[in-house]
Amino acid sequence: MTLLSDIRGYPWTSLLAGLLPARLAGLLPERYQTKGAQIVPSASIAGNALTVVIAIMSFLACLTAGAVYMVNQSAKAWVNDIASEITVELDPVNTADIEKKMTLVALFLAKQKGITRVKPLTAEDSAKLLEPWLGQTSALQALPIPRLIAVEIDRSNPPDIPLIKTALSQNFEGVTLDDHRRWQAEIRTLTRSAALGGLAVLSLVAAATIAVIVSATRSAMASNREIIEVLHFVGANERFISREFERHFLGLGVRAGAMGALAAAIAFLLLPLMTHMLGGGVVTAADTRRLIGSGELDLAGYFLCVLVVIVVACLCMITSRLGVTRVLKSYA
Amino acid sequence: MIRFDSVGLRYGSGPEILRDVTFHVLPGSFHFLTGPSGAGKTTLLRLLFMSLKPSRGLIFVFGENVAELSASGRSALRRRIGIVFQDFRLLDHLTTWENVALPLRVMGKREADYREDVTDLLRWVGLGDRTDAYPEILSGGEKQRAAIARAVIARPELLLADEPTGNVDPAIGNRLLRLFVELNRLGTSVIIATHDYALMEQLDAPRLVLFDGQLEMR
Repeated sequence: MTLLSDIRGYPWTSLLAGLLPARLAGLLPERYQTKGAQIVPSASIAGNALTVVIAIMSFLACLTAGAVYMVNQSAKAWVNDIASEITVELDPVNTADIEKKMTLVALFLAKQKGITRVKPLTAEDSAKLLEPWLGQTSALQALPIPRLIAVEIDRSNPPDIPLIKTALSQNFEGVTLDDHRRWQAEIRTLTRSAALGGLAVLSLVAAATIAVIVSATRSAMASNREIIEVLHFVGANERFISREFERHFLGLGVRAGAMGALAAAIAFLLLPLMTHMLGGGVVTAADTRRLIGSGELDLAGYFLCVLVVIVVACLCMITSRLGVTRVLKSYA
Repeated sequence: MIRFDSVGLRYGSGPEILRDVTFHVLPGSFHFLTGPSGAGKTTLLRLLFMSLKPSRGLIFVFGENVAELSASGRSALRRRIGIVFQDFRLLDHLTTWENVALPLRVMGKREADYREDVTDLLRWVGLGDRTDAYPEILSGGEKQRAAIARAVIARPELLLADEPTGNVDPAIGNRLLRLFVELNRLGTSVIIATHDYALMEQLDAPRLVLFDGQLEMR
């Protein structure tokens, strides 16, 4: 109840009006305008250096959150792709007529429930899959390259994979089935690692931001000690005094956070171009897309940047409030 | 209203600055607090204002034992007290008007409700043409009047003033004394620390005399 009444009684309108530059705040209706001059002057709270530091922290946080989000989105797309397919592999060694065996296996697979499409890959198709590693060489034709059958499955009514696996091994020699589970698990591990790494970076950024704000709060309170004393003498309680400070820090968090997020948004917009330029034209947009998905943030990704701004602003406000309360207690 | 019971104060392990100070201040009373320089007048005012803790003894302000008060409890009591400091304690980045309005702002009152009151009071203390001036360009006397206006604007139940006429000419000094008397008639208890005998002669009010750390009522 105390928390609720505190939230209800909080001077939100004057707080939000305080975020605007003085000229813009002057255009607001009277009830939204802050009363009188600032009791704690802005200039005594935050210099440009502090704004730049918080903006950089916000930029790093947005980059990290955006990158993790992109990796997550790409991984989801990969997992979706490979989860709706299985691959049947035929060993060409000791097989007299591989094409006939391909046809028989394809016919067998097509009869199974839950399989929607069977696509045998030609020898050229299989060779093309090796080209990124081995290059275009005629030597490929001499190699006993395994032949592949791509099988699409109905994800809403999937086939009994272990049963098909057993049936294939019983009826055909040298035929194996890969249901891509290993790849799915590896992609999930990769995504989780990226998310954990991102979380670690975000935690470090948050810790650094808190440390900077704690230090700035202490120095702001030291330079405004006389004002705090006078406020005490005219009967201001800790809540009033801490609000006077936290309003400035919230404004700082919003301004610096928005600057950092804007810089990060521009970086994400330019990412495809930068990747292309850094790749010297060798890395194509298609290659990038294969590695990191679209390489662009979608709307939800940009919303994540807005969320980072809100978190940074709240972090600045809450940290300064705790810092002010702690210092006031030490004065008492 | 105020009760001191055997109050003593010493800084660290030094000698006692105040010894066995015992007195009562009744609601609506008017007292002068006097004594030679360094007798402890300012220290006693600071004890009354709860910005110092006694080394021993009990202090009751508005019936509350100060030793048992929380920080917010002390703030609530301070809102019922007006204080004028010897060194004024005006905020340099606020105008005279804003300085005087500060206690009302702290109380959460709407500016529209007190705008006229602050302007009228400033006019009354002779600062009607200095409302937008910043303290750094005010003379000592003007600062003192602004500090007094700030102390009385919220109509406190108790007014404490430390040498309030020290920096003003006799005419303004008399005017300020009239302001204190008027406030007292309206129900505010007043304690004025001064060694200005001419000022004390103008009013038949009890004197709390501090000498050698001890207090006696005359």
